[in-house]
Amino acid sequence: MARPDLLDPATLASLGGIEIVARWIVDGFLTGLHRSPRKGFSVEFAEHRPYQSGDDLRYIDWKIAARLDRWVVKQYEEETNLRATIVLDVSRSMDWSGAPTRLTKLAYAERLCAALALLFLRQHDAVGLIRFDDRVRTSVPPRSRSRHWRRLVAALDDPGAARATHAPEALEAAGRLISRRGMIVLVSDLLLDPEPVLAVLRGMRRAGHQVTVLHVMDPAERELPQAADAIFVDPESGDEIPATVADVRAAYRATVAEAIAEWRTALTSIGAAYEVVETDAPFGVPLRRAFALRQRLA
Amino acid sequence: MIAFLSPLYLLAAAAAAVPLLIHLLRRRIGTRVDFPAVRYLARAEREHSRKLRLRNLLLMLLRVAAVLAVVMAAGRPVLRVEGSGHAPTAVAIVFDNSLSTTAIDGDRPVLERLRDRARSVARLSGTDDRIWVVTADGTVYGGGRAAVFDAIERVEPLAFAGDPPRALAAAAALVGQSGLPEREVILLTDGQATTWAEPVTLGDVRIRAWIPGDSAPSNRGVVAAAAVPPRWTPRGAVRARMLTRDSATYRITMDGRTLARGTAARDEEITVRAAPPERGWTAGAVELEPDEMLGDNVRYYAAWIGAAPSVTVHPAAGEFVRTAVEALAEAERIAIGGPIQIVPADEAARLPALLLAPRDPVRIGAANRTLERLNVPWRFGAARRDTASVIASGDSAETGALGSGERIRVALRYPLSSTAPASAETLATAGGSPWIVRGDGYVLVGSPLVPEATTLPIRAAFVPWLAEVVSRALASEGDVLAALPGDRVSRPAGADALELSDGTRSPISGDSVTIPRRAGVYFFLRGEERVGAVVANPEPGESELGRLDPGSLRARLRARDALVETDVREHLGQVFDSAPRRAIGMPLLVLAIALLLAESAIAGTRRTGTA
Repeated sequence: MARPDLLDPATLASLGGIEIVARWIVDGFLTGLHRSPRKGFSVEFAEHRPYQSGDDLRYIDWKIAARLDRWVVKQYEEETNLRATIVLDVSRSMDWSGAPTRLTKLAYAERLCAALALLFLRQHDAVGLIRFDDRVRTSVPPRSRSRHWRRLVAALDDPGAARATHAPEALEAAGRLISRRGMIVLVSDLLLDPEPVLAVLRGMRRAGHQVTVLHVMDPAERELPQAADAIFVDPESGDEIPATVADVRAAYRATVAEAIAEWRTALTSIGAAYEVVETDAPFGVPLRRAFALRQRLA
Repeated sequence: MIAFLSPLYLLAAAAAAVPLLIHLLRRRIGTRVDFPAVRYLARAEREHSRKLRLRNLLLMLLRVAAVLAVVMAAGRPVLRVEGSGHAPTAVAIVFDNSLSTTAIDGDRPVLERLRDRARSVARLSGTDDRIWVVTADGTVYGGGRAAVFDAIERVEPLAFAGDPPRALAAAAALVGQSGLPEREVILLTDGQATTWAEPVTLGDVRIRAWIPGDSAPSNRGVVAAAAVPPRWTPRGAVRARMLTRDSATYRITMDGRTLARGTAARDEEITVRAAPPERGWTAGAVELEPDEMLGDNVRYYAAWIGAAPSVTVHPAAGEFVRTAVEALAEAERIAIGGPIQIVPADEAARLPALLLAPRDPVRIGAANRTLERLNVPWRFGAARRDTASVIASGDSAETGALGSGERIRVALRYPLSSTAPASAETLATAGGSPWIVRGDGYVLVGSPLVPEATTLPIRAAFVPWLAEVVSRALASEGDVLAALPGDRVSRPAGADALELSDGTRSPISGDSVTIPRRAGVYFFLRGEERVGAVVANPEPGESELGRLDPGSLRARLRARDALVETDVREHLGQVFDSAPRRAIGMPLLVLAIALLLAESAIAGTRRTGTA
């Protein structure tokens, strides 16, 4: 069977609920790392095992290789030293898809968050969840127990999709949930005013938190849909813009690229990680980025 | 300078408004689409509005220019290349010198304006060209530029309409036979609607026509004048009709003296009765006061004035004939007891006579022998008792009476057959065979004039017909003919000269005679005796000066390439059209394609950039 984390998101989502799909994703993801899902690469040494193709060369025990003329890999006991909070934007703009064959941004983000939480919990991290639109809708404090994941998944079903997005308040709430140095993952389409968000994130970075922003975009938001003359309506604010697609496509594309570049520059300048996630990309792609950050932090 | 051979296609230039309207209205149409990233769209429009406007404007201009280029190409544009001369060309100038061109238009006759145009065209000709002038009566002048210039100066107006369409066709044929590859006919005409009523097929030749651009002057004219009947005994009448927008003062003269004056209302037909003292053939005229066109202010007529023709009716001619003659005698149209016989052919002793078929078929042989003895070149055939309709032929007054009213039928007839070719004129046929024929001193009828044989005696037309036969066909004084100036007419029997307007004699030889090209009354002479008259008047339609517009005239010129112009400079720019004018339709089409490619490139660049 193909690795689920590399399947088309919409196809994968059609096979089961969030919980099942998230498990498939994480199992597939960890298999792809060629590591035991039960063992981590922390600081407490546990045992040696024979080298397998794909293992990280940094963990080969070169002394044993020189003495016994065979490669073995050092394995470590994992530690639970990370507290992560996933901050999910559930505003109305997230509940939109540019094509019926694609997941909405919100559906994609929910599955991504579930998988991310499960991955963290498997690493014995404590994971919390905050959902927000015009206010904080859900706040689940970080816990590391395996049962905690079901609670997180259940919280993803809470109501949302209001006609506004107030990320700063949600981010501040996330910061309050993490008492010591931790990790905050913001999953949003970033259709909001940057300055207040950047101000809060800047404060979190000063407090020592690692910040990752996953910018969820539908492909139709990067490239205008093929329409003749249309009135484009913002479902969140109700703003209307009449436009001829053929006339503004190039300008729109350039503008989106500029906006992404601005987000990237601003977030990088404060030490936050930033990644654009398109809803037709396999879940494994953003998952890898978030996991790599977790590894560096751990 | 660009001219268009099919300018009506330029109306399609209105299509250029389509891209313009789309450009102006494009923001007002469209469907509503939910789209969360509206903030990016608004920012894009805000930041790129100037560039977008310029691009849209450029695209709109390219599309409009492409449409205009295609429309102009459809209009068959030609571009004059100044100073490059022209290829050797066969050119015929059709110079309309019909009577209507004598009308004063502005301060001088239309004919002089046409003469100016002809001079200008002739000046443009080169030594390698062949050039002719063809006038409205079909006269061709040629033989080099000098001869043509001389002909242009010498052309005189006709006293009648002529036939400009026929002259135009002749000119087209003339240049077609020239052997030169470039052929052009220059038509210079007043564009009179009555002249150019029908299309003229001209074939593979260029036509460059010029007509006056202004409306025709108003005109009054005498469009009909006739002595009624032509033989006055001695009473008669003059009947006339005027073409006038309002009332007009007229004068009727006879032999130079005033017969009557009066005022005629618009389209009124006037009849003036008279019993003048003159005797014999006399000329007269109906006159109007002079106006813009003098040629139709006078119209001529002729009448024979004298004693009524004297007739003797044979008892066997029938009761209806006798009664009709008595009625005519009572009206003093004829007299009784004279030399003209109305008699069954088998009883005839001399001519002149109205010869009837005998009632009894057994007398046909005797009748034919009598005809032979009287030198009448016709014979009766075997009796036919089938019913046949009478069909009048010819346009003489005698046949006119037969052709009016209810159709005449024949139940008994003896088909007439000629013993000498072209020996007489057939006035009517029945069952496909001659039924009434006319010759020198006789009129022969193929049936007895009784109701059992034919319905002619019981028709209202019978008495007028009999009067016409007696007074015109059998009376020795002769007949009056109507003709156009310059026409050829048949010579009456025995006539040896034509008396002209100034009283001089013009000898006649042959069976026909060409009458002078001036309107007037001309008398046939036998010795010193007048034996008939011919009245030459212009066509009534020539008095109607209304003109066609250039488009209507062009529609009537069925040629490969016909242009009708009212502007002098434009017309001169169009003549000798062979070399200096280049068709630019194809370059315009190439330009249109280039514009569309540029449009596609600009639009495509944008699409590629977003792909």
